[in-house]
Order: sequence, then structure tokens, then C-alpha cells
Amino acid sequence: MTATLVPPTTQLPPSNHPYADVIHRLEAGGSMLPDTPENLMQIIGLYKAYAVPMDFYWRDLLYIAEQVFLEPLPAFKYFLPQEYLDLRNHYAGDDADWRFWRGEATAHPELLEFMSKGELNTKIPKLFHHLYHDRINMEFAEECMRAMFWHRNMGGELEPYMDSEEYRQNADRAIRAYFKNNPIMLGLYKLFPELFLEQCRQSTMTSVLGLFWEIMAPVFFEMSDVYDEGGFKGVPDAMNFLVSGIFAIAGRPIYHRVNIRGEWFEIVPKSKGFTWLYEAAFPYVEAVFYRTSPFRGTKSYNAQANEVPKDQNDFHYGILYADKFPVGSAGIPPTLLHQDMYHFLPQYLVDYYKQFCRGEDDTLIQLGVSFQRSMYNVTSAVIQAGRAAFLYPLDDPNPKHLLANRHYFEGQLNRFCNPKYEMDKAARIGMVQDQNYR
Amino acid sequence: MLSALIWLPVIGALAITLLPQSQSKKGAIIVASAILILDVLLLKQFDTNLAAFQLSENLPWLENIGLNYSLGVDGLSLPLVALNGLLTWLIICFCENQIKERFKLFQVLMLLIHAGVSGAMLSTNTLLFVLFYELVLIPLYLIIAVWGGLQRSYAAMKFLIFTAVSGILILAGFLALGWLTANPTPIFDYSTLQTLSLPLEVQITLLVVLLLGFSIKAPFVPFHSWLPDTYVESATPTVMMLGGIVAKLGTYGLFRFCVGLFPDAWALLAPYIAIWAGLGVLYGAMVAISQKDIKRMVAYSSIGHMSYILLAAAAATPLSLIGGIGQMVSHGLVLALLFYLVGVIEEKVGTRDLDLLNGLLNPLRGLPTTSALLILGGMASAGIPGLVGFIAEFLVFQGTFTKFPIPTIFSIIGTGLTAVYFVILLNRTCFGKLDNATAYYPKVSGLEQLPALILTGLIIFLGVQPVWLVKWSEKATVKIAEQSESKLLVSQVLNESLTSPLIKN
Amino acid sequence: MKWIRLRELAWFKIKTIVNYANYAQTQEITMTTIVDIAVNNEGFSTLVTAVSAASLVEALQSPGPFTVFAPNDAAFAKLPPGTITTLVQNIPQLARILTYHVVAGKYKKEDLIGVKSLISLEGSQIDLDISEEGFEANNATVIAADIEADNGVIHVIDTVMLMRPHWFYPIMESGKVGV
Repeated sequence: MTATLVPPTTQLPPSNHPYADVIHRLEAGGSMLPDTPENLMQIIGLYKAYAVPMDFYWRDLLYIAEQVFLEPLPAFKYFLPQEYLDLRNHYAGDDADWRFWRGEATAHPELLEFMSKGELNTKIPKLFHHLYHDRINMEFAEECMRAMFWHRNMGGELEPYMDSEEYRQNADRAIRAYFKNNPIMLGLYKLFPELFLEQCRQSTMTSVLGLFWEIMAPVFFEMSDVYDEGGFKGVPDAMNFLVSGIFAIAGRPIYHRVNIRGEWFEIVPKSKGFTWLYEAAFPYVEAVFYRTSPFRGTKSYNAQANEVPKDQNDFHYGILYADKFPVGSAGIPPTLLHQDMYHFLPQYLVDYYKQFCRGEDDTLIQLGVSFQRSMYNVTSAVIQAGRAAFLYPLDDPNPKHLLANRHYFEGQLNRFCNPKYEMDKAARIGMVQDQNYR
Repeated sequence: MLSALIWLPVIGALAITLLPQSQSKKGAIIVASAILILDVLLLKQFDTNLAAFQLSENLPWLENIGLNYSLGVDGLSLPLVALNGLLTWLIICFCENQIKERFKLFQVLMLLIHAGVSGAMLSTNTLLFVLFYELVLIPLYLIIAVWGGLQRSYAAMKFLIFTAVSGILILAGFLALGWLTANPTPIFDYSTLQTLSLPLEVQITLLVVLLLGFSIKAPFVPFHSWLPDTYVESATPTVMMLGGIVAKLGTYGLFRFCVGLFPDAWALLAPYIAIWAGLGVLYGAMVAISQKDIKRMVAYSSIGHMSYILLAAAAATPLSLIGGIGQMVSHGLVLALLFYLVGVIEEKVGTRDLDLLNGLLNPLRGLPTTSALLILGGMASAGIPGLVGFIAEFLVFQGTFTKFPIPTIFSIIGTGLTAVYFVILLNRTCFGKLDNATAYYPKVSGLEQLPALILTGLIIFLGVQPVWLVKWSEKATVKIAEQSESKLLVSQVLNESLTSPLIKN
Repeated sequence: MKWIRLRELAWFKIKTIVNYANYAQTQEITMTTIVDIAVNNEGFSTLVTAVSAASLVEALQSPGPFTVFAPNDAAFAKLPPGTITTLVQNIPQLARILTYHVVAGKYKKEDLIGVKSLISLEGSQIDLDISEEGFEANNATVIAADIEADNGVIHVIDTVMLMRPHWFYPIMESGKVGV
């Protein structure tokens, strides 16, 4: 818990919420994460470590959505072709639509080095790296995509569009073109059209996630560079960088197009007007930060045991609720992500982790806890961006407006206080307030 | 050779007292390693085809009271002597961090206990046996009282009283036996005593006295009440020694002196002893299931497993006797492993409470190797095939089923119940999730894991190649069983007459 | 000769008068549409640029009627840098944000008293709050209400409105009710 009480900064009386300190900090323009230099170091280090594999994820996700599409046995979907490694990120490089990162638009050099050498640190053919599982763990990205896909009904216009007749027509055209000259698959399509349509929807979600992460990677790279220069005075600075980033990119189009033998087929055209904020960012935060699904083996899937909620809205297995200690055990998905991040930790974090707990032996868990802090910061940025977009400025003179802001913050934090299914015990917001939580 | 096994640790202990504190560990390791090497040489020299005592040494000492320094090893004592050497070596080399202070004193006491146990197992003179048996008592009392839990002085005193009573009973029995068979000096020589025969009433009385004495030592229910407190309050190396080999003095005495010297009386009482053993197994298992402290749970499991040996002795068939000896070794290895692991857990996590322990199999933040070995140890104790516990228990059941089916069935049920409490232990301790607020445990170093790995390796090896466990004892057990059979026939014939012709001398 | 020139002069004058009448008539149709008010008044240049970029001019010149919540230049300036740039690069997305500010039908302030929300042309709802303290739409305050045009009414707002996602309402409810 916090060592000192954070007093309210607005003219409103103190909050009565169980996390009143956090509410006051949010009202003062801060983050859910306390503002300490150690926290700042941890979160920026993890943003950088997350951004390098994310550079691979978004490229490969777009490759899978656009080129691999409905391949029945996609054995090589993780073998990213050079064309996609050279694909220019729209938000970095000289010809960017809106330049977030000062660096290059093609794949990050650290990523390229890892892809050629792997953890083994030797240059062997890519196939051997792949079979030895010494590669970027793309399975994690697909797990995120599956979470977003399965947890439908999270708002935005893309959801109803994927069930509409227009989408069906677009998909039909693309499927027929993709399987031209393949009578078996076309026959299967005639027999089971819904199967293919659902696979096409999954492919659309892959594209959505790829487009989402295309932004986040240069944003995180830039944050790391700014921190290295000393440009962030504290955690709120880092959070505000994210908030402005969210606004800047809110209008970015979300689409899905497939390349079939050189011709582009639009399944979700840009002209539908789907935006990054409503159709990608909010569903992503909801599905991946809050909900996901219980790790196999940690919860009983027996319906009579009532451990897994009946209502999808009550799912509470995302990063904000995750128990980081089982990372490293079989079947715990974030292990894959943490192993990826482990390869790209900045040196200052490697040295930092050696000093605590079991040093090098449990770096994976220590970085997992830092990652959880960093994602709390991202969620705080999303919450603050939501406040700025839908409610009032923090220094609004009208007390009615300030009260609305407070209701909003308290409503957001109430999600961490729900006693159903012991969600309040699972939420880690209380633990990240303590610097000793490692 | 046999004298070396007894006196080397004593001389070593004396030498260590002269060394400075920092050198004492090196000295102890040298002595313990020398003993282990001697044990290996003994195993090599032992001829498995002979049933009689080998490598005998006989020095007249106090002839007029019949106390002679006579040593000998046969298939019954050899495995136990080897086990003694192994456990002492493991304790002295690796269990340093469990003993926080006065380490030199600990080494000395441990070596003295080793010498006492070796001496008791190797002596072929009943009075010499009692001498060594009592010699073990004081160092053990000190070791329990100096290092251990909060209630250790109470536990040590309880242990002292119970074991002293046991010693008195055994001494009384041997003295009576010696005087009753005197011609005219009392006979305390084992081989001689084996050839003599007493009236059945006398036999029964003496047998009951000795049986009582050894039952307190082993212990068997209902004389076991010193065991839970003593085992729980002792430090880890102490309890490894206690449960691993010192308790075997009781069962060794049972085989050697009760079954070996009083076959007729034994045959008469066997059915009741078998039922007693079966109930003991069930009692130990059921009380273990209800425990919340993992060390206490393992202690009660020890009581249950000792009763298998009693059952094997009751049946006294060659197969059951081999099983009994196998169970003595197996129980020693498994118990030492379990107590060692429980000690590691207590030291790293800070608690032994089943309600608090959770999630230790976590690969990065838990104690994964320790938990994994705990699982293997639990499996071995429950008699899972592939591990030595199965070999021993299976032989015991095979050997006793034809003679005493009902007690055997009780014991088999007891095996099942063993699995119950070990699953409870493993489920609560190893599986589940670590508590985020408190689970910042130190790492278990390689050196700390080594004794557990060695013991596990032996448990698996002997489970897969049981010939290495039983080949030493085959001839000796056949001899004991034959004696029991033949004496049974003779006693049946002479059942009406209460005196034996030999007594008329 | 003079007689022919007089006829030509008269025809020219008639043509001029007819032209002027035509001109006057067309001037009347375009004079006071919503777009005209935006174009001809101070402080709506960003809005006009956005509307033309999104090709919504013709729509907003059609008879309608429409109620438009028009953000002024200060409102657009409050948005963090890059927001407008990205939107202007992506016309369908820009159109979506702009159509969110338009409601079908002509609602003046007095018509909206007691009305909790309106459905915009974009499809999402706009929450209204009219009281003595002021006239608010979502988180924007109407600084000038009831500016009449021929094809509708304009309310000038001080903040660009963004569609409130469906999760917003339960969150606010939860915050009001408590844990």
C-alpha cells in the first residue's frame, strides 16, 4: 500500500473510494502507478523491451491477414518475408503520416539481429531456429488476437459490420478468388460457408491487431529514446506522452485487405470509417488488459465449480489481474511474451534485476512485474484519454464537471473492487502501489 | 575390519575434539568418508552364499560374566551397517546449514552415535549388544536437546526415558536368558544361544520382555508416543539419523533376538503379533492423514511403515524376512529423504504448516527440485513400483499373505492410506499458487540438493534393480526361517510336556 | 438606326433586370444555409476546412433540416497535435467525427428542454443537459445557441465531441453508485 496519503488536489472533498489515493492521483493528472524514479525506469525499460518483439508481431500479423489469409495448413506463417520486414511503418521514418519515432520505418535493427542469431547466438538456418523455438514467440500475438476475437461485443462499429451482408459479400469475393482452381476447398466452402466466413473474420481481427500494434511500436521506441535523453520528469510525463499519442492517432483507419495473386481485395474497406480508437484500441484494452481467458490449469473449467464467470464481461484474467509468479510454468501464455521481452531488456534493467530476489534466475518474473506496472500506466493513459475525450479537463472550474470526472475515475477503479469471483483480490492495483512488489 | 568400523568413528570423534573449530568439518568429512569406503569394502568382501556370521572377531573380555568382545556380520546386519555408513556420511558432509552453532560438538556426537549403532549391529554377544545399545543413548539425548525446535528439551527427556526403559527391559531379558541357560557361566554368545532351547513358558516370558523393549525402540503402536515429539523437535540431520537407522535397532533386535532366539514362542504368538502389526499400520496412516504439520505427518508415516517390518517378522517366512530387511533399508532411505526435504522447505519458506504452504513447484520462484524430489519420496513411501518402497512392501505382502491374510490386507489398506496423506501433502505443498505477498524465498543451492539427489538416486536404483537390496540377506533369512519351521515342528510335538530334555543337564 | 439601337438597349436592360432578378433569387437560396453561416462568420475556419475536406458541404447545404453542434476554432485548437492531421489524411474517419455533430431535425434550445439525448447522423447518441447553469451536449458547453439557418439551427460548442463508447455509461453509473 502507499506509504503516504495522497491528498485531493481539486476543490472536491476527499474521495471515499477504497483506492482513494489513486483517485486523487488521477485527478491531479497522474497515473494509477505511483510517481517514483524506479517506477519510471521499470516502465520505460519494459516499453522498449516490448516494442522490439511488437515490431515483429505487427508485421507478421499483417502478413498473416493479408497474404496467408485462409491457407488451410499455414506451416510457414511465422516466416516473415523480406517484403514485410521492409514494410514501412506509417508512423516512423521520413515519409511517415505522423512521425512518432525519430528512427527508421523498417524493422528495428535489434529485431533483425535476434532473428538471425536467436538466443543461441549462432547463425544457423532459419528453419532450425524455428524448430528449436528460438524465435520471437508469435503465438502470444495470436493469443491476443484470439482474445479480441472471442470477446466480441466490446463496442465499436466493426463488430456489427462483421455480421453484416456487405461483409459477407466482400468475404465471399475474396474467398472465391483465393481458392480459384482449387475444387476441394471450393467444394468445402459450398458445404460449410459459415466456417470459411468465421475464418475470414478471424483474419480481419488479425489485421486489426496488426494495425493497432503498428502504432504502439514507434510510440514505445520514442518513449525509450526520450527517457534516455532525460526528457521524462516522472511517470505522469510518460503517461501524458501516451495520452497525446492516443489522440494523435485516434482517427487512423482500420481496415482489412487481402492480396490474392497481386490483386488487393478489400474485405473491410477504409471507406467504412472505422477508427483506431474505437475499433482497435478500446477493444484491445478491454480484451487483453482486462479479460482474456483463464490459463489452462489454474482455474477449473467445470461449469458446476463456478470458477469461470458465465458472463464474458466478468472475465478478469488480463494483465491487470495477472498473478506474475507462475510465469515460466507450462501453459501460462505470458511466459512467451516475457521470454521475448527478456531478449531485449535494456542494460540498466538487467543490472537492476540482478540486485533483487534471485537475481538472474528469476529475471523473467521480475520483468513480468515491471511489465504489469507498465501496462497499468498504459491503462491509466487510456483512462485519462477517455476523460479528456468524453469528459472535462482536470482544472475545470465547474464543480459539477469535476464531480463527473470523479465518478468516471471511481467507476473505472470499481472494476478492480468487484468481490464477485474474487476479482478484487486478483486485481494487482494495490500491489503495484508498493515498490517492494517485484 | 569390523572393529575398524566401530572404533574408527570413536577415534575420529576424539581427534576432532582436538582440532580447531574451522578444521573440524574437514576432519569429520575425512572420517565419514573413510567409514563409507570401509563399508564398500565390506560389501565386496561379504560372501552372499554363506548364512553364518562372517568376518568374525572374538576377544575375551570379561569371561566370568560372559561378556566377550565378539563381532560378526551376516545378511541381516550387513545392509543396515551400510545404511548407517551412508546416512552418517550424508549428514556430516552436507547438513552444515541446518546446524547453526557448536558444529564440532555435533560432528563428535554424530560419530559416536554411528559407532554405537554399528557396534550394536555387529555384536554377536547379547550383552555387548546391550552395551552398544545404551551407548547410543547419551549422545542422542544431547543431540536432540542442543539443536532443534522450541520443545526440544521436553522431547529429548521423553526420548531418554522411553529408550532407557527399553534398554532396561532388553538388558533384563538378556540377563535372564543368560542365567537360565547358564552352564555354569551365563551364556551371552548368540551362536550358542541359537542352539539351545528353553521351556515354552520361559520362552514366552523372555520373548515378551524383549519384544516390549524392542517395540519401544522401533517404535510400534502403542509405545510410540515419544516419536512424534522427538522427530518433530529434532533438527533435520538428527531426525535423519534417528528415523533412518537408530530406529532400526529396534527392528534389528526383533529379527535377530526375538525371531532368531525364540522361534517356538514366536510361532505361538505370531498370529497376535501379526494383527498388532496390521492395526499399527492402519493407526499410523490414519493419524498421519489428520496432521497439519508436514514434519509430524512424515513422523507418523514412519510409525506405520515400521509396522510392516513387524508383520514380516510375525510371518517369519524366508520371503517375508527378506521383505522385512528390505523394508528396513527402504524405510531408512525414504525417511531420510523425506525429512531432509521437509527440513529444506522449513528453512527456505519458514513454515511447516500445510495451510500456509502452497505452490512450491513454481519453476522460478519456488523450490522446484525440492518439490519434485518430495513427490518421488512420497511415491516411494506409498509403494509405487519402480522405487524401492514397492520392492520391500511387495516382498513383505507376498511373504505374509499365505500365513496371515487378514493382517496383510490391513497393511495393504494402510499402503493405500499412505498414498492418501502423501497426496494431501503434495497437493497442498507443491501444487497451487505461490502467495504473492510472501513468496520471496531464497534459492536452494546445488550443494543443498545433493544429499536428496543421492538418496533419490539410490531409491530409484534399488527399485529398478532390487537384487542389490536383497542378495545380501537371502541365505541368512532362509536360515532363520528354517530354524523357525523346524522348531515349530519340535515344539508342536513336545507341546504337552513343558520341559525340554536339554534342560535336565 | 436610332430605333434599332433603342430596341437593343431595351433588350439589354430587360436582360440585365432578368439577370439581376435571377441573381437575387439564387442569392436568397444560398444566403443562409448552415454552411454559409459557418463560412461568413468568425471562428469557424477549421470547421469549414474539415467539412470541405470531408465532402460534406453539399450535404449541409441540402434542405435538411439539421441541428448542428458546431465546434469553433478554439475547440479544435484544444485537441492534441496530430489529431486533426490524422483525421484529414483519412476522409471517411473525419466524416464520421463530423457527422456525429449533426442531428436530423431542427431543435432549438427550448425544444430540447427535458430531452436526455439525441441520436446523431453518425448513429451514436449525444447526451444533453439543459439547466439554468447552461446548455451542455456531452462534455461540450453550448456558448451560442439557436443560430438559425434556412435548413436548420446551429449551436456553437467549445469542445469537439467524440462518440461515447457503450462502456462509458455503465462506468459512470458504477462511479455514482459506489463500490
